[in-house]
Amino acid sequence: MIEISLQDEALQLYPERAIYWKRKSTLLIADTHWGKAATMRSAGLPIPGGTTTADLNRLTGLVHQTEAHRIVLLGDAIHARAGRAPKTLAAVAEWRASHRELELVLVRGNHDAFAGDPPTELNIHCWNAPVIEAPFVFQHFPAPSEFGYALAGHTHPAVKVRGRAGEAARLPCFLFTPTCGTLPAFGSLTGCAIVKPERGDRVYGIADGEVLPID
Amino acid sequence: MTPRQRLHAWFASRGWKPFAFQEEVWRAYLNGESGLIHAATGTGKTYAAWLGPLMEAMAERKIERNPPLRVLWITPLRALVADTENALKAALDGLDIPWRLESRTGDTKASVRERQKKRLPTALVTTPESLSIFLSRTDARTMFSDLRLVIVDEWHELQGTKRGVLTELALARLRHWQPNVRTWGLSATIGNLDTAMATLMGNSPSHRRLVRGLVPKSIVIDSLVPEEMELFPWAGHLGVNMLPQVLSAIEEGATSLVFTNTRSQAEIWYQAILDVRPDWAGEIAIHHGSLARKTRDFVEDALRKGTVRCVVCTSSLDLGVDFTPVDRVLQIGSPKGVARLLQRAGRSGHRPGVLSRVTCVPTHAFELVEAAAARDAVQAGLVEGRFPVERPLDLLSQWSITIAMGGGFEADAFFEEVRSTNAYANLTRAEWQWVIEFITHGGEALRAYPEFARVKLQDGRYIISNGQIARRHLLSTGTIVSDSALDVRYLTGGRLGTIEEGFIARLRPGDRFAFSGKILEFVRVREMTAWVRKSKAANGAIPSWQGSRMPLSSELSEAVRARLDQALRGIYEGPEMEAIRPVLETQANISMIPARNEFLIERIETRDGHHLFFYPFDGRLVHEGLAALLAYRIAELEPITFSMAINDYGFELLAPTAADLEGALAAHILSPENLAEDIPASLNAVELARRQFREIARVAGLTFTGFPGQNKTTRQLQASSGLLFDVFMRYDSTNLLIDQAHREVLEQQLEGSRLGRTLERLSRSRLVIRDVSRFSPLSFPLVIDRSRNRLSSEKLSDRIKRMSAR
Repeated sequence: MIEISLQDEALQLYPERAIYWKRKSTLLIADTHWGKAATMRSAGLPIPGGTTTADLNRLTGLVHQTEAHRIVLLGDAIHARAGRAPKTLAAVAEWRASHRELELVLVRGNHDAFAGDPPTELNIHCWNAPVIEAPFVFQHFPAPSEFGYALAGHTHPAVKVRGRAGEAARLPCFLFTPTCGTLPAFGSLTGCAIVKPERGDRVYGIADGEVLPID
Repeated sequence: MTPRQRLHAWFASRGWKPFAFQEEVWRAYLNGESGLIHAATGTGKTYAAWLGPLMEAMAERKIERNPPLRVLWITPLRALVADTENALKAALDGLDIPWRLESRTGDTKASVRERQKKRLPTALVTTPESLSIFLSRTDARTMFSDLRLVIVDEWHELQGTKRGVLTELALARLRHWQPNVRTWGLSATIGNLDTAMATLMGNSPSHRRLVRGLVPKSIVIDSLVPEEMELFPWAGHLGVNMLPQVLSAIEEGATSLVFTNTRSQAEIWYQAILDVRPDWAGEIAIHHGSLARKTRDFVEDALRKGTVRCVVCTSSLDLGVDFTPVDRVLQIGSPKGVARLLQRAGRSGHRPGVLSRVTCVPTHAFELVEAAAARDAVQAGLVEGRFPVERPLDLLSQWSITIAMGGGFEADAFFEEVRSTNAYANLTRAEWQWVIEFITHGGEALRAYPEFARVKLQDGRYIISNGQIARRHLLSTGTIVSDSALDVRYLTGGRLGTIEEGFIARLRPGDRFAFSGKILEFVRVREMTAWVRKSKAANGAIPSWQGSRMPLSSELSEAVRARLDQALRGIYEGPEMEAIRPVLETQANISMIPARNEFLIERIETRDGHHLFFYPFDGRLVHEGLAALLAYRIAELEPITFSMAINDYGFELLAPTAADLEGALAAHILSPENLAEDIPASLNAVELARRQFREIARVAGLTFTGFPGQNKTTRQLQASSGLLFDVFMRYDSTNLLIDQAHREVLEQQLEGSRLGRTLERLSRSRLVIRDVSRFSPLSFPLVIDRSRNRLSSEKLSDRIKRMSAR
């Protein structure tokens, strides 16, 4: 974990791909893509199960570590309509049942538009972007916002680090531009897109369970 | 007239006389035998195979009109279909046999497909993929009930690939239905014809005969020798500096073929020639596998007619099609193998009294050694073999689904049928059980998901579970994997060919690139199509296509080592060796020329890091495995990160920190022992198996490329095969497809047994370490190679900290 200051707020970046905003006891994650493996299975692609459960376990770990009261999911909760498989939804429901006291908020993303909101029994507040919580604005698409500093997902950012002798590594990352922060995708069966940071951007890569500032 | 007399009369009417080998095949066919005919292209193999069944037909009391399917002609290339059809048709017409002859490929018109659904022609020319689509039909058995003969053209080309295995499986199915069906294969002369025969025949009981076609006339191999030799050869420099000499060679001939090793190189050379000789516009053409069918047909036609001065091409013109007018063949860059060079040489000299000749054009100095070595190998009669793929389970899964559609199968009987092929002769019960589970419920890891099933068991037979799965299966049948390719089209509509997404992704609108011999301006990408317009600019970026780079063959590698050994002893024989003499002398001055029994390692530190260069001279695939193995073994001794560059002569291990080479050598990093554990571990470390998984995932139906024209709806099904590999490793590590990825990397990618032999040889060699003060000519091409594998025993987080600490 690494603590940074953003808009004079202290944010903790976790290598489990989440941000903890301590003052608000809020855990921020993006792009869980629950049911992606199930979506693929329903199309006849034999992908092993267990990814959604593993991701939920990671979330449990985060909740314990941070003692968060609330989770804000920045879009793309369920991967696709076909991902609403009974097993997947049951896994999420079971997780929810053991975290009853948590407040859950989903800021809808592009996948949610097609996959639909999570079932109401899960008791997740589903809102359209932007969700304003000064100094931040929660939204799915990374873009500057007139209402504050944007925190978003969608792009599944990764950064390429280069060293001497042609050495290079690709890391999922948190990217903070002067107007908008993007979280790495939380779902483990998701790809990522290399971002090219510009001057003035701050980038934190995730490697071996550590969050590392990247120049 | 007897059928034989009619045949002779027809030959005579065309001014021909049957060759003895053709008569031999006809007799053998009528005798119920199967066999393999080997000879160079364009020597009458087609009619040797085709006329037997026609004689059989002529012997019937009344020749039947359009009887049901009797002869199946399998060809590896769609491009060969039209020519084959013409040749077969000529015989039918000449002998007045009223058979319908048709072809079936992915390009076949819908109306013809419809007709073929109802009834097949008497003779059908098709590809392995289209054949397996026929075999997925529930009425397949009836359609093939009168099949007498299957001819497999260019079998040498198929047999080393999964497409060859697909062909073996189809043959087993046809033989299962029709035990008397005869099989004849046509092949170039290769080093392991006995294997070619065994794979083609499986365990079919029919008598098998190996027939040698016409003995090739002698072949001339020479080189264009650069006037000035660069001492530091660049790989990938592409040798366009040889252009003036290439132009005069083209001018000498009436029609020339200029072979390159890659599609990008073909584009580069085409542009380069046109730049210097704009007056040749319209007289020169380009031909490679990513160009639109129409363009390629046009070029092939021009070649047949001799209306073109020169065609710059790739292996796309290696096979089939006889271009009699071609009188000059040039090979740009390394010939890579003896068989391949012979094949290309054989494209010329089809006129009486003319020799086949190929001229090698070196793109860097060492390729001169290769040309001389290739000539040695040809003289010694050393030609490479093609080694078959052994029991690929991805393909077996695909095939089982195909047959589950085609009427279904009963597990035990089908197991025996599959085992009757050479490829699956060693398939175990356990593996077969795994395949069944994999296609019925996705394997052990998916047991808990009843909704997932591609194939179901019903009344003792395995059949396809629903129509949706069947449709999707047909679309992904086959084993050819390409990077997701985009169509290239003019805004005005014309289609130019296909290009890889990875290249287009790097372009911005307005950027120019060379493709299909034209300079194009990129406009936009929409719906899997890259829209372009013609550009007036003189040059543009050259696209790259992924494609396996062929390694230097063992035969040629050995011949190269022999030539270097001579050079060491001061023997420079022939114009090529004379020319390269200064380069080799520079090598000797800076470092040394390794003798045949020496293994040279060069060591140097530069701004880039600590370089180690190893020179086993054994082909890039072996070097890829060896580099990974040595890097892995050194990294086991100390935390270190390597990047690796590989070519046909050796490899480089480059590290930001100095490795203790002497210590590592003392710890037996070159030992041929413990390979069984160390090789798989090293392959995982450089993610080779992860890369190999791409093809396996596609063939086994784990990734889906989508329905044509419906790209949007399949988006949510996309996951990279690398990600899938990780998921399988984590949640289903006993999945045999993961096993297969390792096996394939080892056997094919790294030529497993060759790697072992190399280590044996190296462990007997005298090891020489040279600390050099500057890069030697041998190391130079490795230094500038940018495509590198990596291996590290440092923690990733430590590496990142070290990298950012700079």
